[in-house]
Amino acid sequence: MKKLLFALLMMLTFSCLSIASEAVVDTSVEVSTPVTAKTDTPQKSTYREETYQPMDFNEMMVNFYHTTGLHALMEPKKGVLTSHGEPMSDFHQTWGRLIMFGVTFILFYLAIAKGFEPLLLLPIAFGGLLANVPIANMAGPDGFLGIIYHMGIANGLFPLLIFMGVGAMTDFGPLLANPRLALLGGAAQFGIFGTLVGAYALSEFTTIFDFTLQQSAAISIIGGADGPTSIFIASTLAPELLGAIAVASYSYMALVPIIQPPIMRALTTPEERKIRMRTLRHVTKLEKLLFPILVLMLIIFILPDAAPLVGAFALGNFFKETGVVDRLSDTMQHALINIVTIFLGLAVGSKLAADQFLVVDTLAILGLGLLAFSVGTAAGVLMAKLMNLFSDEKINPLIGSAGVSAVPMAARVSQKEGMKSDPSNMLLMHAMGPNVAGVIGSAVAAGVMIALFK
Amino acid sequence: MFFESIKIMLLGMGTVYLFLTIMIYMTKLMSKLILRYFPEAPKVHAPVSTPKAPVQKTNENAKIAAILGALQHHHQLEQEGKI
Repeated sequence: MKKLLFALLMMLTFSCLSIASEAVVDTSVEVSTPVTAKTDTPQKSTYREETYQPMDFNEMMVNFYHTTGLHALMEPKKGVLTSHGEPMSDFHQTWGRLIMFGVTFILFYLAIAKGFEPLLLLPIAFGGLLANVPIANMAGPDGFLGIIYHMGIANGLFPLLIFMGVGAMTDFGPLLANPRLALLGGAAQFGIFGTLVGAYALSEFTTIFDFTLQQSAAISIIGGADGPTSIFIASTLAPELLGAIAVASYSYMALVPIIQPPIMRALTTPEERKIRMRTLRHVTKLEKLLFPILVLMLIIFILPDAAPLVGAFALGNFFKETGVVDRLSDTMQHALINIVTIFLGLAVGSKLAADQFLVVDTLAILGLGLLAFSVGTAAGVLMAKLMNLFSDEKINPLIGSAGVSAVPMAARVSQKEGMKSDPSNMLLMHAMGPNVAGVIGSAVAAGVMIALFK
Repeated sequence: MFFESIKIMLLGMGTVYLFLTIMIYMTKLMSKLILRYFPEAPKVHAPVSTPKAPVQKTNENAKIAAILGALQHHHQLEQEGKI
């Protein structure tokens, strides 16, 4: 009770002071901005002069009040800079920050209560919360979020380290047992390129939004449903859109079980959903060992621009399959990927600063991302139906949707949908083939984008 | 400029499919070669069946021991004239 009273009292004094401060605002603004305080002390001699001016208690309280977040959130100042060094608008300093607090709280809720990709959404949301703290400027070049951002996102390092870990966790067995299913993983990449055309057409012929070709490419890669690839491409082609693209990409990956099933059901007949597929053959250890090397060699000859992504992926997978460096592969699968995930999440979160996220472009990116994702899913299903026309060995079209990478979520959705039509039909392992092929496919698509735009 | 995006789409999808098609054929070739020259299949069956055999044996041994024990007990009872 005493604590509550004390808090109330403090609130009261602060609000009184804020009224009183209007009178003395001219003298105190200078002190409260850290930027000007820095430039005001150019002395470099070891002798330190007393710079602190004596002041009466009321003045002291007023000055202190001007350094509080309450003041910064209520009264926007001129000359506050964004993390890009541009002046920040009044809205983004005040309501924008508060709205973003709300957005991060919603993300917390989705991650904790609904279980939407909590491993990534939680660091991203917390990074977003910290990035919107006024005065501390954590997302700026000297803040810790900004430092992490420049350490691993601006130069594309973290996505590659993640890819290494994903490679070490991937089993290519199902793909090796039935390599022809890789075509489904290719079809799903139509989500990327179809959306690229759509986004650019809307920019060109309408006034809804105005994206350059590079920006359209970076947005459409969301359709690959591959978080690290999206971040890798966005940091290369359109760093200004990175926050929104990363958030859209990871949200849709989390929403796979909600977005995909209606599309899958709409495009298939009940008979097709009941198709049973032949049990996969046994894959030898040597095949699994040589496969990452084979893929990497093909990339080297055809598309070296995708080599960073595919190379990191192949490295992780090769280390795992050799079986002689279990310690290294174990580190990639757990410790390394966990550490990088924390950094990656925080750095992406730093792009959730109000001045970058609360713009019209973000809505457009969320919309286009959803479109890309849906088109990719549909293209995978339709490709499976097309392949059934030309082949005797029928494919259950439900596994086509797993061609969007989102490993292993998309494959699980195929399994679940298959079981709804025929509870004893096990599609999971069949769906893993297109699923891992989708990872390779979106890496190739990303390589094409880099090759064209770099 | 709009046709640029169409061109990129054609090139992109073309590359993805070209790459995956080559990958599929190379993978099939690789699997064929490996299965012909470095087959692993019998080795896989061996370790699966070997651990089963001793388990069965020990079970049988136990059964035989139990039967023998019962017989002996029976004999003993007979000799003592209790049956």
